[in-house]
Amino acid sequence: MITEITEKEYGALDHAAPKLIEFYSKTCGPCKMLSFVLKDINKHKPDFPIYIIDFDENRELKEQLGVKGFPTMLFFKDGKEISRLEGLKQKPAIIKAIDALL
Amino acid sequence: MENTYDIVIVGAGPAGMTAAIYAIRANMKVLMLDRLSPGGQMVNTNEVENYTGAGKLSGAELAIKMFEHTQELGVEFDYKTVIDISNGGPLKTITCEEDDTVYKARAVILATGTVPRRLGVPGEDQWAASGISWCAICDGAQYRDKEVVVIGGGNSAVEESIYLAGICTKLTIVTMFDLTADPKACDLLRKMPNVTIYPYQEVLEFTGTDRLTGVRFKSTKEDATVRYVTCDGVFEYIGFQASSQAFAKLGIIDRTGCIQADSHMRTSVPGIFGAGDITVKHLRQIVTACSDGAVAANSAANYVESIK
Repeated sequence: MITEITEKEYGALDHAAPKLIEFYSKTCGPCKMLSFVLKDINKHKPDFPIYIIDFDENRELKEQLGVKGFPTMLFFKDGKEISRLEGLKQKPAIIKAIDALL
Repeated sequence: MENTYDIVIVGAGPAGMTAAIYAIRANMKVLMLDRLSPGGQMVNTNEVENYTGAGKLSGAELAIKMFEHTQELGVEFDYKTVIDISNGGPLKTITCEEDDTVYKARAVILATGTVPRRLGVPGEDQWAASGISWCAICDGAQYRDKEVVVIGGGNSAVEESIYLAGICTKLTIVTMFDLTADPKACDLLRKMPNVTIYPYQEVLEFTGTDRLTGVRFKSTKEDATVRYVTCDGVFEYIGFQASSQAFAKLGIIDRTGCIQADSHMRTSVPGIFGAGDITVKHLRQIVTACSDGAVAANSAANYVESIK
């Protein structure tokens, strides 16, 4: 499932659960194309939570998580960042990072 | 056989997507593959102003429209990296990196485009992706109110410099020749107050310790003056090279790495066609890539009909 959240809603997430957080920008072409890839991954892994966050509207959280550009994908498990991918990445690389959480 | 197609299109940039549209409208069974996502290089283009009828829009917006067009027509698409194409007579065999899936096709259109060329100077590998970038609209935001250097003077360099100069305090352009982009864009860039242009320069190295701090370059004129500019980030736009390594054994690649195709986009191998930036051509634009795609699909469909 893909859900858009704000930095306020981020605080209320179940931080122990594996998840993918993607920072995107409305002005960013590669982010738009990554959304196609994430939708495709979601078709194959509908139960894995993917959260997307607007980089420009959630500056405190992106500072807190050390996100410098977009798109940036952070892979979390047990409240810890396990890995991150910056830029538009190939679908197998994203799936590999997700599988490492499960 | 489930994995047998009339036409497999490798690459989903403007050439590949247009080829897919024309091929499926010719009643072909079509599969389009791309290693990354639909759109190709145009996804990294901030603004497109010269695609007929589209007005001004971002490259990504145009890519999305093109991809949606292919999906409305029922083009099958998958995220796959093609690593080999074997020319086994009437059916070509297409092998992908991700899994053991093998596709068969009566005709193949190669439209994998290009990847950014790199300088190959000291410091480039060290700071790649953590100071040196090839995509201003992806990484430009982190240099807001900072100083950046752009390497290159062609269309991509100038267009992205205009974008960067709007968010950075200081922008320095270092280019091997003078600016060679569209005159209108060059004029706009030259008028921006925070832009300095150094033409006829050779980049010597990127410097830094714990982060990138500057660029050293030398004049290619007689004075051979060496300059050093401090910066927080560098964007390289020095052209592209064909993404054709996987097709080398077909014997259709020239010494520059591009595919040689005739006016029907046929290569020297029957049933293998080329389209878009990967082919030998003078003008690499979205509109010329689309034109190639249409021609290639028409030729491929005629070829498939001839061997069925």
